[in-house]
Amino acid sequence: MKVITRLALPVCLLAAACFAATAPDKPQPGEELALAADLSGHSGGHLTIGGRAEPKTFNPVIANDVVSREVTGRLMADLIEINRSSQQTEPALAKSWKVSPDGRVFTLQLRKGIRFSDGHPFDADDVLFSFAVYMDEKVDSPQRDLLIIDGKPITVTKVDQFTVRFTLPRPYAAAERLFDGLAMLPKHLLEEAYRDGKFVEAWTLNTTPQDIAGLGPFRLKQYVPGQKIVLERNPYYWKVDRNHDRLPYLDELVFLFVGTEDAQVMRFEAGETDMISRLSSENYNLIARDHQRSHAQLTDLGPSLEYNFLVFNQNDLSSKKLDTVAQKQKWFRDLKFRQAVSAAVDRDSIVRLVYGTRGAALWGNVGPGNKYWVNSALPHPQRSLDTSKQFLKAAGFSCNRAGQLVDPSGQTVEFSIITSSSNTQRMKMATLLQDDLSQLGMQVHVVPLEFRALIDRVFQSFDYEAAIMGLGGGDADPNPEMNVWTSSGTSHLWHLNETEPDSPWEREVDQLMQQQMVTLDYAKRKKVYDRVQQLVAEHLPFIFLATPNILTAAHPRVGNFHPAILDPYTLWNADELYVRTATETAGAR
Amino acid sequence: MRRRTVALIAMLIALHLALLFAGFIAPYDSTAQNRQIPYAPPTRLHFHDDAGWHPRPFIYPMTVGPDGYVEDKNRSFSLYFLVRGSSYKLLGLFQTNWHLFGVDDPGRIALLGTDGFGRDEFSRVLLGGQISVAAGIAATLIALLVGTVTGVLAGFYGRWVDESLMAGTELFLSLPWLYFLLGVRAFLPLHLSPVATFFLLTGVIGLIGWARPARLVRGIVLSVRTRNSVLAARGFGGSDFYLMCRHILPEVFGVLLTQAALLIPRYIAAEVTLSFFGLGVNEPVSSWGNMLSVLQQYSVLVSYGWLLAPVAALFVTSVIYALLADTLHSRLEFLST
Amino acid sequence: MNYFGRRLVRALLLLAGVSVLCFLFTEMAPGSFFDEMRLNPQISPETIAALRSHYGLDQPLPVRYLRWVKSVARADLGYSIAYNTPVAPLLWERAKNTLLLTGVGMGVTWLVSVPLGVWIGTRRDRLLDKVVSLGSSLFISIPEVVIGLALLAIVVHWRILPVGGMHSADSDSLSNWLRLKDTFQRLLLPATVLVLVESCVIVRHVRASVIEALQLPSIEAARAFGISNARLLFRHVLPVAASPAISLFGFSLAGLISGSLLVEVICGWPGLGPLILEATLSRDFYLVIGGIMLSGLFMVAGNLIADVMLLATDPRIRVEAADAP
Repeated sequence: MKVITRLALPVCLLAAACFAATAPDKPQPGEELALAADLSGHSGGHLTIGGRAEPKTFNPVIANDVVSREVTGRLMADLIEINRSSQQTEPALAKSWKVSPDGRVFTLQLRKGIRFSDGHPFDADDVLFSFAVYMDEKVDSPQRDLLIIDGKPITVTKVDQFTVRFTLPRPYAAAERLFDGLAMLPKHLLEEAYRDGKFVEAWTLNTTPQDIAGLGPFRLKQYVPGQKIVLERNPYYWKVDRNHDRLPYLDELVFLFVGTEDAQVMRFEAGETDMISRLSSENYNLIARDHQRSHAQLTDLGPSLEYNFLVFNQNDLSSKKLDTVAQKQKWFRDLKFRQAVSAAVDRDSIVRLVYGTRGAALWGNVGPGNKYWVNSALPHPQRSLDTSKQFLKAAGFSCNRAGQLVDPSGQTVEFSIITSSSNTQRMKMATLLQDDLSQLGMQVHVVPLEFRALIDRVFQSFDYEAAIMGLGGGDADPNPEMNVWTSSGTSHLWHLNETEPDSPWEREVDQLMQQQMVTLDYAKRKKVYDRVQQLVAEHLPFIFLATPNILTAAHPRVGNFHPAILDPYTLWNADELYVRTATETAGAR
Repeated sequence: MRRRTVALIAMLIALHLALLFAGFIAPYDSTAQNRQIPYAPPTRLHFHDDAGWHPRPFIYPMTVGPDGYVEDKNRSFSLYFLVRGSSYKLLGLFQTNWHLFGVDDPGRIALLGTDGFGRDEFSRVLLGGQISVAAGIAATLIALLVGTVTGVLAGFYGRWVDESLMAGTELFLSLPWLYFLLGVRAFLPLHLSPVATFFLLTGVIGLIGWARPARLVRGIVLSVRTRNSVLAARGFGGSDFYLMCRHILPEVFGVLLTQAALLIPRYIAAEVTLSFFGLGVNEPVSSWGNMLSVLQQYSVLVSYGWLLAPVAALFVTSVIYALLADTLHSRLEFLST
Repeated sequence: MNYFGRRLVRALLLLAGVSVLCFLFTEMAPGSFFDEMRLNPQISPETIAALRSHYGLDQPLPVRYLRWVKSVARADLGYSIAYNTPVAPLLWERAKNTLLLTGVGMGVTWLVSVPLGVWIGTRRDRLLDKVVSLGSSLFISIPEVVIGLALLAIVVHWRILPVGGMHSADSDSLSNWLRLKDTFQRLLLPATVLVLVESCVIVRHVRASVIEALQLPSIEAARAFGISNARLLFRHVLPVAASPAISLFGFSLAGLISGSLLVEVICGWPGLGPLILEATLSRDFYLVIGGIMLSGLFMVAGNLIADVMLLATDPRIRVEAADAP
């Protein structure tokens, strides 16, 4: 009897210790946590995801490449986040917010009692510090441009310890979407570096994990150069599941640097990684073929938000010595010429041969994947060489005896299309286009260029005739596309550096884009943007081609795997992912 | 020994003839796309069907089934020889449209399958071979020409001419060319026709490779220069140029021939490597290099094995050249002792 | 030694020449590191221009070259824009992996090729001679990329070996022995490709020079004197045949850094190759220069060592002997 009572206490302690080690940290009183009411899972375990390259930094302010942002996004949190699945905004570090009637003033209430991953409390001082860094010209953060509207910066003021007020220079539709991607920085760790002017050198890859803290679901545990990054669970994370167990479920998340997509597929099939973020259709089909054995969770999410297009050089070349290109511009500027080209493009074959049928043809900049903004009234004409020929005839083109197309002045129609040599899909599109246009008698040369050389020609030297490129994919909202469609925009590729719109339709687009930016009501805004899409589809500054589907794959043991078509496709809900038990995995098959 | 040399030279000539007449032997143009049958496996020739045995072979067209391509047994197309097909320039001179074999439209015969655009792999291997082998030969000629001239000059004049030329070869051998080429490719002018690209490519390969022949030739010149016959000729008042042409070059000739046989397959391989990285001949013109670059994608490599055809072609070409080089070398060894 | 001194000076001049050419070539290639950001419509060109001048990319070329030379003298190879760290430790980290691969490759190559070449050279006109001759010619002519891809396809399709990287994801939890085994397995494929490609060249050359040496009058005379075959081989033939092999050894040393670029890229080995390739494509200026200079250094050093060894063993120093096919 005595033995049992003697043993009881150590056994209980032991049990408690075991329990505590495996159970998530219980929420403390005073913490205002976000509740995910439909969520459940088990804690423990780790998942590995393959990465195409190494991140370049852990500093969220200067990270501008996809891989670095993938990692920093798991370490950091924002005031308001965009739920990638629903594409709507959700409260994150700000538990609620109020908008003034004119849409210019946002007052955000922060969650109380939240701590950074090193235990230090979070409050409005960190928010003010973060925004000061983002908007500092000397730091040169790419995100600074987001916070400048009409040339005037957003002002940030502290109302009290847990309330912050943002004043925009003018109303801005969907302003709360701006907050997604602006990570909240720990003032207590970075203030010194900022004051010393050394912020850019803070949080490089060889920083010790203890010096990095954030409000994201994970914190940095280990970085092995050239090999992997190991993230461990943040015990202070501010979200709980429906059983009020603190998220994330995973103990560790490992990023393995694998290299090319092919290498990723190989390691995934070998079971060394658990998720692949984006696959080409060939690799998707390859994994699908092995499905009987592997039971991988394959998801085809439908068309992405990117759009691939052919652009003709309509830039003003009077100050440059590019006579051959300038001569051909009289074709490129002729709407009928562009309409003829668009009618001759075999979009079906592009979707079939380039995307293995896992894609969608495009006739405008907003594709079927963007369900909130797509203008479904726009026509989708089928390929017709006859229509092309009619357009060409109306524009004064004809065929000479050798079957080549000549313009009204007798010059044979011959031009080159440049594209990025590292992008196999666009290279294939170029080859298909070349064949399509040769059926009209046009002589087209495909010139693969190295990526940066391509950018240089398109943005800087304008020494090109036509190019196949891709844009979009960042967010579903029209605002990020302002710079593409407004005539003074810096991504107004077909005619950069315009001092004023050079045609009535461009003037109308300018007005409409400005209008939609300040229209706060969704229905009214959509009507405005629909008209923009219509104008773009009618005047063809870009000849739209196709968009790929978002294809992802995960090991059957990954639970709560809900990929979305917005970046980061598989990791946006990293805090909800968990490792299924063997029975659950078998049941899911 | 002689018989083997003759046999090898005959095989070499046969190979080159096949490539010269590629336009005739290939049933289709290398750019002719057929978008309904991408990545189709090789067409099987049949001699036998329900009606019995036919002396004339025939094919069934490929259609897409639930698990990939299947033969559509409802239609058949017979194989004919000496047919009229797409037009091309035989030997670059005569416009004609005769082809060695073919099937009636809309049938397609793809003896080695099709690529991602439905283009006939067999035609592309033949027509691509024209480009790749021509690039190899042209590059070899350039390398040997430049190498011989510099080697003779270096060996003949010696001392500082020799030092500077040899330092030049070392510089060339030390540079990691692939990195440079990757960066430099970008700033070439856009309006390069395929022909110009081809010559640029061969020029680059040849220029990278002149160093080795130069050193070889230099070595030979060094040893020949001191021979009694040469000294005598010089004593008789022979000019430098005369000595170079009459005494030195003939000695070098044998080595050059062997080098040529060795270098040609290596330069063909160099073209393949460059095109692999997108630095060579562009679409839609086919070369063995850019045909193989598709295989960089693992999924293509394991799913469509027939696309490895250029490797087999490269293999065959290299075998013949290698055997020839070996024979030449042993023959010349005989001669030099 | 005067000869050695001259070669050393030449080597240094060569390195300087390589560095100048490097700067010129990388400058001529259009585009800069930050161009990728142009594609993001939300980033303004002013920000990009500011970033460029922050890293000194808008300075004229001679200024940048001189600054670089000065910093190299202080053993500082510059700054990588992409990684925001100094170039030297970055390079060194990856160079270790590359040297492991090429070191193993070179070791196996020489250990196999030299005895094989000697053995074949001493017995001519046998079947093995023909087979090896043919095989080596073929492997020389088939590009490295093709050999690499073919082997990769076989290895992955039949899951013979793990491929990619140096360790598996959970290597920390493995014992030391298992971790070594894991790295060794991943090393096997790229090393095999290297061995195949390199050994062809060396076997051919060793065989050719042994054959040539065997036909020398001095060897005939020695044989006539009744010296045994073994002694003949080791005391008389090999020293003569050694000098071209030593030049080749120098070439092998020279290629220790740069020779494995293609293989590393194809097999996913985390060495210097993929790093510099990515840096070249993304215009990470100082990283590219640093990498090329490092490989240039090895090349020059390798040649220098070969020359010194030749001087020590062969007083004739006939360079052309090294290039006999």
